[in-house]
Amino acid sequence: SPYYHHHYIMSSLNDIVSQLETCVTNQDVDSGKSLLPQVKVSFLTAPEHTALAAQGLECGALLTLMEGDLEAFSRLVALLLPYYHNNQGASSTTTAKQHLIVGLHLMQLLVEHRLSEFHALLEILNEKLVSTEACLSYPVGLERQLMVGLYDEIMSTPIPHASYQFFVNHYLEQTVRDNIADGMEVSYQELTVSEAAQRMKFATLPELQSYVQEHRPDWIWMENPGSEAVLSFAPVDTTVTAADIGADDWIQQSLQYATEMERIV
Amino acid sequence: MGKDEDKKEDTTMADATKVEEKTEEEAEKEAVVVPPLEAAALRLEKSLGAYQSSEKDASSYSYYSNPAKVVRRWLSTSSGASGQATLEDISQAAQALLDPATTTKLELLVTSTAMTTEDDTTPPTYLKAAAIQVQTWLLSLKARLLWRAKDTTAAVNLCQEGILLIMTTLEQATNSTSASVSSLFPLNARLWRWLALATEEGAVLRVDMAKAHNMALLRRDVDTAATLLNCMLRDLLQNSQVEQAQKLLSNSTFPETASNNQLCRFLYYSGRIQALRLEYTSSYSNLSQSLRKAPTNTALGFRIAAQRLLVVVQLLMGEIPERPVFFTAGMKQELEPYLLITQAVRRGDLAVFTKVVSEQKERLQADETYTLISRLAHQVVKAGLRKLQVSYSRLSLQDVADRLGLASAQQAEFVVAKAVRDGVLDATLHPKEGYVQSHDLVNVYATKEPAEAFHRRIAYCLTTHNDAVRAMRYPPDAYKKQLEASRGNRRRRGGEDKTDEEKAAELEDELDEDY
Repeated sequence: SPYYHHHYIMSSLNDIVSQLETCVTNQDVDSGKSLLPQVKVSFLTAPEHTALAAQGLECGALLTLMEGDLEAFSRLVALLLPYYHNNQGASSTTTAKQHLIVGLHLMQLLVEHRLSEFHALLEILNEKLVSTEACLSYPVGLERQLMVGLYDEIMSTPIPHASYQFFVNHYLEQTVRDNIADGMEVSYQELTVSEAAQRMKFATLPELQSYVQEHRPDWIWMENPGSEAVLSFAPVDTTVTAADIGADDWIQQSLQYATEMERIV
Repeated sequence: MGKDEDKKEDTTMADATKVEEKTEEEAEKEAVVVPPLEAAALRLEKSLGAYQSSEKDASSYSYYSNPAKVVRRWLSTSSGASGQATLEDISQAAQALLDPATTTKLELLVTSTAMTTEDDTTPPTYLKAAAIQVQTWLLSLKARLLWRAKDTTAAVNLCQEGILLIMTTLEQATNSTSASVSSLFPLNARLWRWLALATEEGAVLRVDMAKAHNMALLRRDVDTAATLLNCMLRDLLQNSQVEQAQKLLSNSTFPETASNNQLCRFLYYSGRIQALRLEYTSSYSNLSQSLRKAPTNTALGFRIAAQRLLVVVQLLMGEIPERPVFFTAGMKQELEPYLLITQAVRRGDLAVFTKVVSEQKERLQADETYTLISRLAHQVVKAGLRKLQVSYSRLSLQDVADRLGLASAQQAEFVVAKAVRDGVLDATLHPKEGYVQSHDLVNVYATKEPAEAFHRRIAYCLTTHNDAVRAMRYPPDAYKKQLEASRGNRRRRGGEDKTDEEKAAELEDELDEDY
């Protein structure tokens, strides 16, 4: 009978979701992944169970992050975002983990440099929530800090949830470090290695050395007998060549003017 | 009052028909006042009636080759009358003008029971040519009044009935009555607009609007298509669906022959969408165009909204708006918070800027510009750094931090380094001594900057010129007639000259590759 069927699905879905929650707590990615397909099916086909299925999907999303699979994370978020938007009502919160998932999605957009989508998503979110919920205010503040260049603030702001660590580890440190290095390269003529290490937040000098060798081949590491080694940045090549005049643009512009003038005359 | 008005109208009609037989004493009768709604309706009847009669007389061209244009012009001239109408006026006009025998759903307009005048000497003259048009016009007026009175369900109902009426008329139209078909287009647009404003069920209406928009494009109904596009954009923006609005924008084209007001609205919505998506340059050009095309004497609310957004976009692009802009007549109070924010940005002090923004937060949220203003943080820093670079050749990092409202010298160092990398300023940092040294200013005329600036202005002037040339429209048929006559002469002489149009078309084909 349909009642029994509905009840059966409900109870089994309940079991699955609670199992998923346990997987998340234990960071057990593999068993979580095997449970996920059933939750996806219920989410899409059984409209009366969507609330429960959404919770399951959220657990799945957290598991994908633990594994580092950003594509799977995007797919799950693409299912969840419209659900949040349609079922918000007055309270603007549907599930317990809603803000966490949205905040993680914002982080993803930020590190993938999809800034227009980042801002478009911010538009839809409720203003008050963004300032009060730590999960949401963290990415927003992060974007501001990256734009202005307040790198020391980035490193010192605490992350609101353990799952943000993924983004911090894999992208943020690298991005921030690259940004700082780029800035250093054009604004300083030379720096002592200890200062360089301190700015780029390297704990030890050998780390700095390996970074320089790997990513910055044009920096010159000069050993100074008797005092500290100095990092010297290659001077900017200021010789102007013929290619720098940018004649192509000017030729094209002049041709445009000529054709337009012919039309008028 | 009703009876008197009916009587007066009958008398006026009687005067008009009996003008040859008028005696002196009738001529001495004082001029009676025709209620403005009915006067307007009678004017339309005259214009459309003239067209219909000339349509049968096919050999002569009438001026009104475009009934939609007639109706549009008439709508603007009768706006005074319609602006002052009350529900009763509408009801009276409906009774007086619309034939109960042929008009469906007359009860929507007529509120009171039929009034009979005792000495009803002449039968009321009903409209023939303009019946449907006037009926839908009166429906739209009534809907507007109801909406203003916050009776939204009734307004929505009226609009839907009106649209249904127009749709059935269009379906039943045959080729011979094509005049009345296109003359309904502007009225259809109006009804859709009031429907979109009055309805509260936005999501359901979106589907209907999209379908109606498609049909309008198929019918070449420029008014309805433009109006519906603007209504859909407005609806999406109000629900903050920026990505969807962008998709709608990219998939649709705004008809070029739509009215100026619709174009202004379209440019405003496009500008807003682009500003939200970080495309500031195109947003700026759209918004300034919208302001330029907006009417100068009316529509103050629209101009304020557009000006507000323009100021914000200018700030986001890194330019400081001019001071007189904030003191335009009628806008001073509305733009005051933006003046404060602009001053904070100019100072370049991040701490002051944050303070001003948090003070004005509610105002900005009400204006829906808060999210845009919050992006200004790095512009503040840029402006501050540029000021410092221009005024000091060497400045200690601690001073930089103080002036920019940053937390420490270390932070100032990072910020300056990033700014140098972004190309905002040209400087070198000396960390040991703790100062930043700016390089000598490069002679700007030695770079490409002036040429670029000139090119932007030249391109704009050329585009305007081309648009103006294309917009010079002669009545195409009249031109062709003359051309045929002259070409006939030339053909006899045996030359093969191309018309100017064809020459221009050739030139355009050649040049299309370059652009």
